[in-house]
Amino acid sequence: MATQLDPAAIPVGCPMHAAGERFQPFEHDGMFEQLAEYRKDVPIFYAPQIDYWVVSRREDVISVLRDHERFSASVATQAVVPWPPELLQFLADNGFTNESVQVACDPPRHSRVRSHVQGFLNPKKLQSFEAEVRQLVQSYVEAMKGKDTVDLVDALTYELPAMTAFLLLGVKDIDPRRIKAWTELRVKLMHGFPTREEQMSAGDDLLDFWRFSCDLVEQRKQNPGDDYPSWLLASRGGDDEKLTENELKSLVFALLLAAHETTSNASANIILELLRRPDDWAALVADPSLIPNAVEEGFRFCSSVVSWRRVAKEDFELGGVSLPAGTKLLLSLASASRDESVHENGDVFDIRRKNARSHLAFGNGIHFCMGAPIARMQVRMMLEELTKAFPDMSLVNDDPVEIVGVLTFRGPSRLPVRLYA
Amino acid sequence: MESEKIKFTFLSADGTRQQVVGAAGETVMEVAYANGIEGITAECGGSMSCGTCHVYLDETTFAQAEAPSENEVDMLDIVSSERRPTSRLSCQIKLSAALSGAEVTIPETQF
Repeated sequence: MATQLDPAAIPVGCPMHAAGERFQPFEHDGMFEQLAEYRKDVPIFYAPQIDYWVVSRREDVISVLRDHERFSASVATQAVVPWPPELLQFLADNGFTNESVQVACDPPRHSRVRSHVQGFLNPKKLQSFEAEVRQLVQSYVEAMKGKDTVDLVDALTYELPAMTAFLLLGVKDIDPRRIKAWTELRVKLMHGFPTREEQMSAGDDLLDFWRFSCDLVEQRKQNPGDDYPSWLLASRGGDDEKLTENELKSLVFALLLAAHETTSNASANIILELLRRPDDWAALVADPSLIPNAVEEGFRFCSSVVSWRRVAKEDFELGGVSLPAGTKLLLSLASASRDESVHENGDVFDIRRKNARSHLAFGNGIHFCMGAPIARMQVRMMLEELTKAFPDMSLVNDDPVEIVGVLTFRGPSRLPVRLYA
Repeated sequence: MESEKIKFTFLSADGTRQQVVGAAGETVMEVAYANGIEGITAECGGSMSCGTCHVYLDETTFAQAEAPSENEVDMLDIVSSERRPTSRLSCQIKLSAALSGAEVTIPETQF
């Protein structure tokens, strides 16, 4: 047991080898079914396509997420396909100075930065946006009325979380689709499998997105408001020891992605699962008090964040194998949240599940998602307003939904529904 | 010392009292988990990152127990239920003799 495993030495025919050969890290169709198999017999296996070891059991995933001393977050947003040197040079030459500030940082840097961020991104402050978010949701739902069929992604889940992010940032009069397009590009460059051409052509947009974040901070310096960048500026108090201006700009750049990308996917995933089960939808229509738990069950059953990454700082043992320092781990949150050791019949979607909330959709440990309260709020409100406005809403059955994604995220590209309103 | 058992009581928001026993060094949050005590969510798993394991200690215990760290005091600013003078994050309270006989009150909500 103490001998360290070399991926090349895992014999063909061994379940661990077979799992690594079969696992398609960028293919979301059938992923849950495969992971359910692996959870039983292959708690950890090597995926050669990405040079990561995939961890499928809840206990192992949690043990790594909580052990930030031995497992570094530095690879969390690392490009799966390294960026070409020419792109890096172009970005450097043009003042793209984005740096890791949160998800890809370890203590003490992570703790220092987080202490500033949590003054704004905390449950109480986020709750104070409740009325404004409600208004936003209602306006999107209102705009759908009178239509026979709509694509819910296009009409609601794609834009709404970006508009909520704008509330936090104090941004007005910006087309949310501009931010969404920039975000998709960044996600693909970090967690996707882009071609070299796609990487090279991304430079200008990446730069525009960065400059947009920097401009926002510059504006708040002149005219502070009750928003995230203004809060960070005040919290920094001009002291680089506390938080540098570049870190602050990087935080705003980070929020412009993190505050909406996952919520867009999560809300569409959850609505889709509910509509696939008309009885569940009807239950929420009849009793909206079931909605908060249904939201949690959605996060558990079909999290938009399917996996997250860590790298070992020292030799370690996990899932019965010993591996060396430097080993990269792909922690399957999707699998962990369905682990039967905690969630009985984990592959069953049950809106009344008692412990639905014990999922790992928002991570665990010191990097626990700071936006969780507002993500939950938005999905809940979308369900509340949709069930109220369109109680008979159903999927357009002859229009199949495609789940798309990258290494870490997944969600439907379209969600056509009939409103029957 | 490690194996020393500490007995204390959880008082739920609905008035239910449950006496529990933990080992010195364990946290109040861990003991709550081990005993199936409801109302201490601890979403981040005890990393002082989510503010959802908030509890109120009785005054005597609060005074006897080790004082909260600066980071914990900051986190207590963001708890959802009312913050009181004896508010603590249960993931940061390690069992010691000071906790013996303590009354740990669980707030109505952690969200």
